[in-house]
Amino acid sequence: MLELLAGVVVAVAALALVLEPLVRQPGVEGLGVPDDFDATPLEESESPKVQALLALKEIEFDRATGKLSDEDYAQLKSRYGRDALAAMETEAQQSAVVAGADDPAEALIQAVRQDLQVCPACGPRPETGATFCSECGRPLAVPVS
Amino acid sequence: MPIDRRGFLRVGALAVLPALGGRLGQDTTAAAPLYQPDLAGRPRERVTDYQNDPFIIGIERRLRCTCGCNLDIYTCRTTDFTCTYSPALHRELVDLVEQHLSADEVVAAFVAKYGQQSLMAPPKEGFNWAGYLLPGVAITLVGSVLGWVLLRRARAPVAVGDAAVTGVLSTDDEARLRTELDKLES
Amino acid sequence: MTILGQLALWLALLLSAWGAVVGYLGGRRGDPALIQSARRTTYALMGLLTVASLALVVALLKNDFNVTYVASYSSRNLPTAYKLSAFYGGQAGSLLFWAWVLTLFAAAAQWVTGRRYAYLLPYVAAVTSVVTLFFVSVTLFGANPFERLDFTPMDGRGLNPQLQNPGMVIHPPMLYLGYVSITIPFAFAVAALLSRRLDVGWLHAIRKWTLLSWVFLSVGITLGMWWAYVELGWGGYWAWDPVENASFLPWLTMTAFLHSVMIQEKRGMLKRWNVILVGFSFALSIFGTFITRSGIISSVHSFAQSPVGTFFAWFLLLGGVFMAWLTWSRWDLLQTEARLESALSREASFFFNNLLLVGMAFSVLWGTVFPMISELVRGTQVTVGPPFFNQVNIPIGLALLALTGIGPLIAWRKASPGHLRRQFLAPVGVALVVGAVLAARGMSDAYALLALVLAAFVTATIGLEFWRGVGARHRLHGEHYALAFARLVGRNRRRYGGYIVHLGIVTYFVGFTGAAFKTELEASLKPGESVTMQSPYGEALTFTHLGVSQYEALNRFVSAASVEIQRDGERIGILTSEKRQHVDSFGRASFEPSTEAAIKSDLREDLYVVYAGSVDGTEEAVYKFTINPLVMWVWLGGAILVLGGMVTMWPGGGPTDRAAQRALEGYRTQLAATETAAS
Repeated sequence: MLELLAGVVVAVAALALVLEPLVRQPGVEGLGVPDDFDATPLEESESPKVQALLALKEIEFDRATGKLSDEDYAQLKSRYGRDALAAMETEAQQSAVVAGADDPAEALIQAVRQDLQVCPACGPRPETGATFCSECGRPLAVPVS
Repeated sequence: MPIDRRGFLRVGALAVLPALGGRLGQDTTAAAPLYQPDLAGRPRERVTDYQNDPFIIGIERRLRCTCGCNLDIYTCRTTDFTCTYSPALHRELVDLVEQHLSADEVVAAFVAKYGQQSLMAPPKEGFNWAGYLLPGVAITLVGSVLGWVLLRRARAPVAVGDAAVTGVLSTDDEARLRTELDKLES
Repeated sequence: MTILGQLALWLALLLSAWGAVVGYLGGRRGDPALIQSARRTTYALMGLLTVASLALVVALLKNDFNVTYVASYSSRNLPTAYKLSAFYGGQAGSLLFWAWVLTLFAAAAQWVTGRRYAYLLPYVAAVTSVVTLFFVSVTLFGANPFERLDFTPMDGRGLNPQLQNPGMVIHPPMLYLGYVSITIPFAFAVAALLSRRLDVGWLHAIRKWTLLSWVFLSVGITLGMWWAYVELGWGGYWAWDPVENASFLPWLTMTAFLHSVMIQEKRGMLKRWNVILVGFSFALSIFGTFITRSGIISSVHSFAQSPVGTFFAWFLLLGGVFMAWLTWSRWDLLQTEARLESALSREASFFFNNLLLVGMAFSVLWGTVFPMISELVRGTQVTVGPPFFNQVNIPIGLALLALTGIGPLIAWRKASPGHLRRQFLAPVGVALVVGAVLAARGMSDAYALLALVLAAFVTATIGLEFWRGVGARHRLHGEHYALAFARLVGRNRRRYGGYIVHLGIVTYFVGFTGAAFKTELEASLKPGESVTMQSPYGEALTFTHLGVSQYEALNRFVSAASVEIQRDGERIGILTSEKRQHVDSFGRASFEPSTEAAIKSDLREDLYVVYAGSVDGTEEAVYKFTINPLVMWVWLGGAILVLGGMVTMWPGGGPTDRAAQRALEGYRTQLAATETAAS
């Protein structure tokens, strides 16, 4: 009898947990883990600029450890250097343009935060709607208030 | 069968005495009986020289025990002490060796009697070559194709890159890159 | 407790179906309510399966022998630790265990995955729910641990004595953690395919999961080897048994995946290959679970007979078809982004590493199924035993070992042959010196010699990598050597942790070479008699039989035979091997007598003593003595591997984290300032 009661409690609890969102209809802020600060490691950055810079760093290190010959180094460096410069240009332009509000969730976040974008390295940023910091190219953080 | 503690203690005490006796008194006849011989596993026979004979062990390693253990005869008879098949197979094998058969002849006799399944690895003949060679051939083949494709694909962009990209960056650009890289490091 | 357990399972069945539907729809429509419900479902499933597992554990601890499972795998006098391990000691329990661990991982994946990958999570919940659905249905309809008997036996049958070993308490859970955790990378791959977001995001999201599951698998396999070594008594740890092979297969494909992932992350290549690899790894983990649990070895017929087998066969088939379709329909989205810069580059070496790993997986699978193929093609049954596997796989393994040394010396993107030659001078020199010394000291076994030479080569390259890395940091950043080392490893955890893992693999190989020098001897000895063996190092090892004592212990009657060991006349210790006759709570014998080997280990060799039995019921004992060189290196390799894995996975510490904290501070300050200004 006690066991059956326990079973009913378990069942009700499980169903309540699962069905509650359907009844309550949470907004977008109900989504996702409220992780305090979503710091993206540099390597996982989707910014082309950061990726090109990381490649440059690696090329430099490979030459320093004697894995790359000087000719290969010069060639690779000029290629990735150009990539990085091009990416820097693009991102500088992008940060000037306010991102379109195609995603309602993004739009909401933008509206709430206005110009309170923050970069992990350079602190609060003046530009609005940017994905990456125009100073260093890191992805801008999304702090949860 | 019930075992009472007093009996167990007595046995513990008795067990030490023959050990000492054996050493001091050079007892060459028989060792002392165990307290519970039935509980010490299946009774064993004295080890014969054949059991340690490298020639015989070499043959036994090529043949599978028929008890269903998937082990070779040598491993089974020296591991699974509850198996009755492997000691019997060992004796059978010793009989054949005593008839001055060579290793291959003994193995052939076993195959004739127990079928090809009694070999630990399939004989290298006919279809079985597929078993032995397929993985190696597949790896070599795919490896060669891969190497060829890599060489062919990789060469072209390098040549193009040489013409189009290899220019030295301007000092200004260099400086910008350097600042960015330093920022990345902090 | 079985009612509660049954109820929890039925609810889990219902909810996992719900989670699959809601997760998919939520991902498709982006409806927050559905997404939230899917996420909650994974938590609810975790709760339900925890309840079901607890119900079974309580039944085991309470000796409820009316429950079939408890009566089959436990007994009154079974020590409590083994009662707990009886939870996964039988088929039904182990399936429930699998499902439980899966729900833990599934909930963890929802909980810890960062918000930037939130677009994948509903689909991930859907996939984990489908897998949960499968395992819960197998548990309910194929092998239910909560079934009851018509009567209540006085005592249970007890746990197989070979499973009554500390290694067996931790080995299955570890291996299962490895098998089960592959589900998470797989779920993310499917999620990426379903959402059509096939950039590198899903790989970043599972980075640590992949490594974690690989480490669990490695530890599980190594513990299995250790258990086989100490418990099965043949003085070896690997016999190419189908069950062992089944655990080795996903390990090989996951190892390949770990490497090929880096190519996609760095260069955007091999996207299709990665999806296929993770799919195969998951399929092989399911296959491995099934083989391990069902006892079905080499016959197709028994596969079909067991109801559980039918479930698994269908699941693998449907899953395979689904994955094939899914990958096919997204084929164009999986186009490669970059081209190889040079055929001589780290990328290219990874291609070959993948080829060898997958080739080895194919070769192991091929050997495992060859008896069936032979039967189909020729109608002749053949046995494919260790001699076959060794002949086919040792060369592949050595090639892999060589590549472990060559790869790290090649730069990413591009390397020139002349430059590379200079790189190789020192390591090849070290390897040749080691080879010459070993050959001069009379090592004759070609494979062992080659393996040790390669091991020296790889160790030298890894040493060189650390040395040069520290030197480069010292020069580039002017750091002190100690700081340079700390930063080198701390900021490139993946690379240098990976090198430590490689070092662990090298250590395994060193251990494996010892098998070539295994020395065995059987002897029947009366108390006081002794026998002498020549060790591979040329020393005389003398074993003197001391006697056999018999006594009761816990749930068994023990006959313990002891030998004293002398090395070159110097006494080094006593080893006691046991025969155990397990008894039930009425003192009746249960199971065949089992044997406990006695082992004395050091880095040079293991002395392995087995008491085979007594002659004529006297104290004259039959022994098997084995000298097993270098076995300890295998376990050591496992420890180094785990260490390397931990270095790689260690969270945070990179330059971004501290900077992020600073930025957050700055953000809060500004927020406060804005609020003050507003009020």
